[in-house]
Amino acid sequence: MKHIVVRWQRGVPVYAVPKITPFFAFLCAMGGMSIVLSAYREWAGLGPTTGMNDIYAWGIWKTFNTMVLTGLGSGGFSVGIAAWIFFRRELHSVMRTAVLTSFVAYLSGLVALGVDVGRPWNFYQVLMPWRWNGHSPLLEVALCMPLYACVPLFLENTPPLLERWYYTWPQFRPILMKYFVPVIRSTYPYVIALAYALPMMHQSSLGALMLLGGSRVHVLWQTPFLPLLYVWAAGFLGFACVIGVLMVSCLSWKRPMDMRILGNLARIMSWLVLSWTAFRFVEILARGQIGAAFAFDRFSLLFWLETLLLVLPSVYLLWGDNSRIPSRLFLADALIAIGGMLYRFDPTTLAFSARPGAVYFPSAIEVLVATGYVCFAMAAFILAAKYLPILPAPVTAWHDMEHYARVVHPDWKLEIHDFSHQNRPNFAN
Amino acid sequence: MELTRREALRGVVAKCAPVAVAALALPAAAAAETSSPPKAPVGMLYDATLCIGCKACVVACAEANDLPRDVSLDGLHQAPEDLNAFTKNIIKLYKPQEHSPDSFVKQQCMHCLDPACVAACPFKALWKNDDNGVVAWEPSRCIGCRYCEIACPYHVPKFEWDMINPKIVKCELCRPRLAKGYEPACTSVCPTHAVIFGPREDLLSQAKERIEQSPNKYFENRVYGEHEAGGTQVLYLSHVPFEDIGLPDIGTQTIPERLKWQKLIYKFLALPLLLYAMLASIMKKNWTDHQKEMREEEERTGLRPQL
Repeated sequence: MKHIVVRWQRGVPVYAVPKITPFFAFLCAMGGMSIVLSAYREWAGLGPTTGMNDIYAWGIWKTFNTMVLTGLGSGGFSVGIAAWIFFRRELHSVMRTAVLTSFVAYLSGLVALGVDVGRPWNFYQVLMPWRWNGHSPLLEVALCMPLYACVPLFLENTPPLLERWYYTWPQFRPILMKYFVPVIRSTYPYVIALAYALPMMHQSSLGALMLLGGSRVHVLWQTPFLPLLYVWAAGFLGFACVIGVLMVSCLSWKRPMDMRILGNLARIMSWLVLSWTAFRFVEILARGQIGAAFAFDRFSLLFWLETLLLVLPSVYLLWGDNSRIPSRLFLADALIAIGGMLYRFDPTTLAFSARPGAVYFPSAIEVLVATGYVCFAMAAFILAAKYLPILPAPVTAWHDMEHYARVVHPDWKLEIHDFSHQNRPNFAN
Repeated sequence: MELTRREALRGVVAKCAPVAVAALALPAAAAAETSSPPKAPVGMLYDATLCIGCKACVVACAEANDLPRDVSLDGLHQAPEDLNAFTKNIIKLYKPQEHSPDSFVKQQCMHCLDPACVAACPFKALWKNDDNGVVAWEPSRCIGCRYCEIACPYHVPKFEWDMINPKIVKCELCRPRLAKGYEPACTSVCPTHAVIFGPREDLLSQAKERIEQSPNKYFENRVYGEHEAGGTQVLYLSHVPFEDIGLPDIGTQTIPERLKWQKLIYKFLALPLLLYAMLASIMKKNWTDHQKEMREEEERTGLRPQL
């Protein structure tokens, strides 16, 4: 069998496919339903609509939609650090996918958080610094997370949109060249630096939240290093999510996969997972709590489930050529994602026991709203991938798209190979 | 190539900025974080050996705080099963399995000297009075996040789960009554003086006196709340183990102290700013390199480079 080596070089929109598919309609319907149910929750209160109570005061809207999904949506942060700070050139081609997954994940998480809090109308106080309690980890999250999503992450997502307008909206072109490009060129490094500083802060603060929980969080999870473990886990979860999204997108839209880049992502992820696990074990040993891991109660089983879900696929991926074989990579990546999500979920739920006998199980409305907002995020990603040059592809795919666009959209100004053109679009020089 | 003055200055400033920020951070890091205790903390002393379980305090509390009667148990009697959205104060009966003595216990906010809920609350909706140390709740600031319920080691703050504009319900030591010069409702009605009101210092010495007068009457001959979690303004004496009547063994470290590293890291935002400065300086160099590579890429492929 002859192997065709594919190189991802640039973002190319998913073209010549219907924009509205049955699956897309289903996602929108689920999202719409979550809006209706959220409205009902606002009207009826949290008690009748959710499974939360005074002992388990936080439900899946916080523990899953925020804790887990923003961890999963840390691709723009973790892959970005690898690409920009550690200057891994080849990873630049997946950055658009990474920042878009981060954007939709953060937005859906923030909306879920808004539905979860009981008095959201008092949230305007984020703009009143004299009312801030600077010592509260939750304040840090409440300030930092919307700020990150609305400023650096939003700005990171604008180039594909501007690029589309550049080709499809001729009147916009001079404005882009005159006002947008110089600003982007001069401010980009500062925006990017902010896009890495802010997640480091709020992803660690998400871990710091449970420090106040004290002994309610099981000893295997409760540690002064919880903030560090949380932000570290966000690091590999971001990689896992980007790999998964890229592979699923390539499979569903019949795009070629660049196994060199995917393999590189996978190996960075594996080392992050293994170093994280090693640190976690050393930390538990240092606290003298390793006995709890061998108690073989439900907590220790959960702990080993997390550990095995993370470690086995990571070792597997580092073994031989496994990270370059799509089926193996996908399976291992999915397991790592589940393991990492479980870790981010546990300290607030499964490893959280506030009072013996008290239980929390999410209500149907809670589960539907939680999945509904995830569906919205997926729908937004799908739509963006079809309109904007997000998903990476070889240069040849761009040429194919160009030929197609010339026929379908003769009004677009595509002049791509025209070097003599004075207004050559360029963010770079 | 000669450096212009502006370029030279820019270079120096860029390199010095992180150092300057670090220098700022050092004294900040050295100064340990301490929360100032209230000037004249007032509180309550509850002696479980004196309580007869009449629940007069439960009724008085509901009346003074304008709370609806919790009759959910049988639809007839005000008999709450636990602290809840209608109940800021409760009397519970501890009934042991064996033939050991049973005991009543009163539960309400402990008004910690360094409260976990106040440390947790993002917008100071829960706040501690500087003078009398009462931990109070301010409705216009609460966003309903319920972090206080996660943080409080005594399970005190409760949430109005069924309301459209839910409130946090917790004992505020009858602060409107205190302002008028009255004592809290619960202490004012107690027929046996099992719960009394006063300055924390007086109550503590009185409790120790009681222990001295009848040694071995009280559990471990000590006052619960003297040192627990840094000390509380509500103090307990009991003849049964404290843990049995719902007073957890939580050590003497204050709960907010668990955040001391966080506080140090975020002091004056010094370390985050330093981190940002480092990232930005690295990014600036890499951005220049990246732009060069994008230009080369453009010349090679003839396609507009993508960011």
